[in-house]
Amino acid sequence: MAASAFNDPAVVAEVTAQFNDYERALLANDVDALNGFFWDSPDAIRYGINEHLYGAAAIAEFRKNRVINFSDRTPLRTTVLAFGADTAVTMYEYTAKVFGQPRHGRQTQVWVRVPDVGWRIAAAHVSNTPPTPSWSGYVEQTAAAMKLPIDPSHRAGVAQNLERAAAIAAPLLAFPLPESLEPAGVFTP
Amino acid sequence: MTFVPHTATALEISAAIRARKTTARAVTEALLTRIAATHERINAFTTVTTERALAEATAVDEALANGVHPGPLTGVPYAVKNLFDLEGVVTVAGSKINRLHPRATEDATAVARLKAAGAICLGALNMGEYAYDFVTENVHDGACRNPHDLTRSAGGSSGGSGAAVAAGLVPISLGTDTNGSIRVPSSFCGLFGLKPTYGRLGRGGSFPFVHSIDHIGPFARSVADLAAAYDAMQGFDPRDAACTTRAPDIASPSLDSPAPPLRIATLGGYFEKNASPQALSAVATIASALGTTARTELPEPALARAAGYTISACEGGQLHLERLRTHAADFDPNMRDRFLAGALAPAAWYVHAQRFRTWWREQVRGVFEHFDVLLAPATPVSATLLGQQMMTLNGVEMPVRPNLGLFTQPISLAGLPVVAVPLHRPGEMPIAVQLIGAPWSEPTLLRVARHLEKSGVCTAPVAAL
Repeated sequence: MAASAFNDPAVVAEVTAQFNDYERALLANDVDALNGFFWDSPDAIRYGINEHLYGAAAIAEFRKNRVINFSDRTPLRTTVLAFGADTAVTMYEYTAKVFGQPRHGRQTQVWVRVPDVGWRIAAAHVSNTPPTPSWSGYVEQTAAAMKLPIDPSHRAGVAQNLERAAAIAAPLLAFPLPESLEPAGVFTP
Repeated sequence: MTFVPHTATALEISAAIRARKTTARAVTEALLTRIAATHERINAFTTVTTERALAEATAVDEALANGVHPGPLTGVPYAVKNLFDLEGVVTVAGSKINRLHPRATEDATAVARLKAAGAICLGALNMGEYAYDFVTENVHDGACRNPHDLTRSAGGSSGGSGAAVAAGLVPISLGTDTNGSIRVPSSFCGLFGLKPTYGRLGRGGSFPFVHSIDHIGPFARSVADLAAAYDAMQGFDPRDAACTTRAPDIASPSLDSPAPPLRIATLGGYFEKNASPQALSAVATIASALGTTARTELPEPALARAAGYTISACEGGQLHLERLRTHAADFDPNMRDRFLAGALAPAAWYVHAQRFRTWWREQVRGVFEHFDVLLAPATPVSATLLGQQMMTLNGVEMPVRPNLGLFTQPISLAGLPVVAVPLHRPGEMPIAVQLIGAPWSEPTLLRVARHLEKSGVCTAPVAAL
């Protein structure tokens, strides 16, 4: 690859436009438009947060069944790297709420110019940073398992108390005790 | 000397009645009148059992007229934290929810024993809801006020028990102590309080909070009264699975006998770090009065507090699980989210905390091979203001409610007996010091407390109202 072929402004502009259209379709959850962006080939690959999809058909099937709301997705940083006239990579950081938790997302897309068709995504990978430790999910799941209904207005307070209890228990739990030590129960048969 | 019912000690009342200088009925009526006259200001009582009190007083007077001595607490009025069963009264335990419970069909074990000793029950006392509390700002019954300063808390969760004795409404009251609920009000109200060894006094017929750590015990304005109440309640209680089968160890007769030389030490480290200057000065005063300069430390007291906190949260949460399912909105909001959080806590926390308790007991036993009595503040500060949210300890601002038990919680986790001894200084709110002993050493601790009382260092005057 000739040096002049890296980040050719015309190529970067073309791919940036495609990237922006894709993002608009994603925010609108326009499934048809989204599928149109992918390389219509059994070799197309998309790794999602929880899924590993091989082939355009699998990717389309996944999108069809997914209900998403990305309306709060906020861009942080977008980088477009063009290699020659027909290959580019977009690297994108954003924030979005997942189950009410603010998360830091990363999206990598490999774009190729398909002859007679135009720019298409041949491979993509999306990931989120792990959630900030929070007890809200735990409260919801454990309460459900225990059939303990908690009024929505109380949940934040309960999660906060569990977080406090966890902070208090942390040094205690880290304190090594010999395995032979029995709990100090009171039971006299 | 003129006999004044509301400033007289329990034993003075008993002696005056037995000497026929007054009657149980007259003393009971005088205190019932004082309760009614001061209720608006103090809010210590939630139920006044007038009918029962007058009937019991009449029975005592009749027995005396027939030459029968009802017992060592003849005609002595007392009242109990409203989590103790009183026959015919609903045991509310500071809650709204338990008001739906049927009336108790029999007295709690401790109440039955005080009655058998000749004492007269005047009623049930205000407390923090379900005892998960250190301030007794009860949302259902209203805040209990400190008789020494009505803008301040009486402490909790046995706040009514402290306020009633400090206000001269009764010479003796009963409270419970899981993480400090007898010792904190003793400190805030300037009283003698006894949290006995875990398992020493039967808890039958008392509404629980944390079975593993709950204790019951008395408050009084004199050490002899404290010992008399303690002695009257000793003995196996088949209604309490944790109650000891040891024979009673009666403390009263040896209160004034010369104590064998005791090894007494002030607890340093954790027990000094977060104490206010007033609390530190109180401990220094007691140490000096006892002629000791020895110091020692307990290993890992902060972890012991964490274990006490964790066990309380878990057991308390499970105890109230069904009520949390069906009546969450009726809990005091200050307790509800903590109980809910405790109900959801992982089992791993609980079992680890209980295993730590075994470890902690061994460590504490080791310290008592070198010392007989340990000194520590009962509370980091003297009485806080009602409604006060934050306090500053060691330069760090922290919430009041959970931190009043800093120095009491690690000690009850070990189940050690403690006598809280009060110091009153002009221009200051009172504050108490913990005399902490080895398990089953209540008579020793009471003897030390009596010595401090006799030498004028510790006093528990009735508040000027």
